[in-house]
Amino acid sequence: MAHDLLGTASRRVHRAGLGPWLALPAVVLLAVFVYRPLFRGVELSLYGSDLIGNPSRFVGFDNYIDFFSNGDFQRTLWVSLLIAVLAMVISVAVALAGALLLRRWIPGRGLFQIVLSLPFAYSAAAASAVFFGLFAPSIGAINLLLARMGVDGPAWLQEPGWAVFSIAISTAWYETGFAFLVLLAATRAIPEDVLEAAELDGAHGFRMAASMLIPLMRPSIFFLIVTQTIGGLQTFTQVYVLTRGGPGTSTTTLVYELYQLAFGNGTPDFGRASVIGTFLVLLVAGVTALQFILNRRKEF
Amino acid sequence: MTNTSTGMRRQLGGKWRTLRPGDALRLAAILALVLIMGFPVFMTFATGFFPNGELVRSGLTPSLDRLTLDNFAEALRSIPLVQQLGVSVVVVVVQSLAQLLTSALAAYALVFPSWRGRGIAFAVIVATMAVPGESLVIPNYELVSSLGLRDTVLGIVVPFLAIGYPIFLLRQAFRSVDRELWEAARLDGCGDLRSLFLVILPTCRNEVTTAALWSALAAWNGFFWPLLITDSPQNRTLQVGLSQLVSGESTSPSVIFAGTALVLIPTVVLVMVSQRLIISGMARGVLK
Repeated sequence: MAHDLLGTASRRVHRAGLGPWLALPAVVLLAVFVYRPLFRGVELSLYGSDLIGNPSRFVGFDNYIDFFSNGDFQRTLWVSLLIAVLAMVISVAVALAGALLLRRWIPGRGLFQIVLSLPFAYSAAAASAVFFGLFAPSIGAINLLLARMGVDGPAWLQEPGWAVFSIAISTAWYETGFAFLVLLAATRAIPEDVLEAAELDGAHGFRMAASMLIPLMRPSIFFLIVTQTIGGLQTFTQVYVLTRGGPGTSTTTLVYELYQLAFGNGTPDFGRASVIGTFLVLLVAGVTALQFILNRRKEF
Repeated sequence: MTNTSTGMRRQLGGKWRTLRPGDALRLAAILALVLIMGFPVFMTFATGFFPNGELVRSGLTPSLDRLTLDNFAEALRSIPLVQQLGVSVVVVVVQSLAQLLTSALAAYALVFPSWRGRGIAFAVIVATMAVPGESLVIPNYELVSSLGLRDTVLGIVVPFLAIGYPIFLLRQAFRSVDRELWEAARLDGCGDLRSLFLVILPTCRNEVTTAALWSALAAWNGFFWPLLITDSPQNRTLQVGLSQLVSGESTSPSVIFAGTALVLIPTVVLVMVSQRLIISGMARGVLK
């Protein structure tokens, strides 16, 4: 009898009813605002603009041939990669140093933690606005401090080589906030007894970091490397605020080029801009797939 | 020479804290790091209080009788910051509440009831996390414009009412809920919605807070889409307004710093006050 009771009860519980339909709002919204534009973007990339900027001329793969052969592709991809990798390396290295140095108690630890996590409070726009002021050639704080040390600072945002570097530096600075919080959380998650055992074996300082801590924090470090590289490949805000892609085209990233083609001052060219959008989807999908493959290999 | 007896000990908050000889070096290293990383923060909040160039020219030791609020007044005159704050607040509230609602409903459907197609639905949702948002702006711009929502607050939020990451986050949280708890709720006569809102969500309030915080920050910091879909200064978010302040030909650096400081107050307070919560959220969200 108890059996019967349970049987009815679990049948009642498992009758699906309304349940599955609750996923509908999310699925419909994602279909309309992610999947539809994904396919519409590919379609648009096959069209050229008429005189007033409507994508009405079917041109086949002309936009792709144009983009990949006229040098825009190599140039914008190179700038995006440079900014992504440089910013990622700097921010992960600085955040890792901060998290490791603050793992054990030290006078002022609470304050230091807050200072190192504060860049997390900055949006890309706010961080860029601040660095716009700091990089200013005549009254910028960076060059005036350099001058006091007898160094003649460059025109950070006005010289092509330095401009890419300056964007990477400002990106690295605000990304360090997030990276630091992630790695700080990772150091907290390491079981204390594991470390005590290592300390009894005489592991301290750099040896402790290299042989115990960093290997144990590897999942978090890997996560940061992947997400920050992907984020960096989509750099737009910093370029928009700091340099508008210049001087010349020295800081024009993939997304900034997309923006200029579709929404810049010239006749809108949704077709050519959509080539970049489509390429970006494939690029990020590639990095994501690579991450899964590397992750799996490590586990088994 | 790392034996604790050679170190200095003191008791703080009931817990032994130990210093070792090598810690002087550690302190020096962390101080250097904190000074470099903290410098832009210091400049953000200090520069605006002095006439243009004063703080830097005085070698960061300006005389306090030069203190002024003129730069803040000028920033408020240059862009409609107060109206833009209103837009940003509406965007944050609407967008994160909508995301929380659609995420909670979807995560519930993906975890508790068993149905055909559940795995596919999950794959379809999770796959959107790998799509870069920048590649979607042109088709979404066409759609939102054709709906007559260009240059409106609704146009800013409408593509982001549901998003993959918080769904994923809540699904992971719901999966760790004891299934018997849900079955008990159903046996007590709770429908799906009541089980979700009265039993499941309260059980997972830490993860719900993490998801809400993530959604709110993403909404507050959004830039590319709000820039494209709005034109009028009074319909733009604070972040976009700030970028227009920077690009203003006549804006002096001190005014830019003052405006940035105003825009940053909410998130800086958030990071300082809820640091512990954010770190535990990071541990959950990132390390699973």
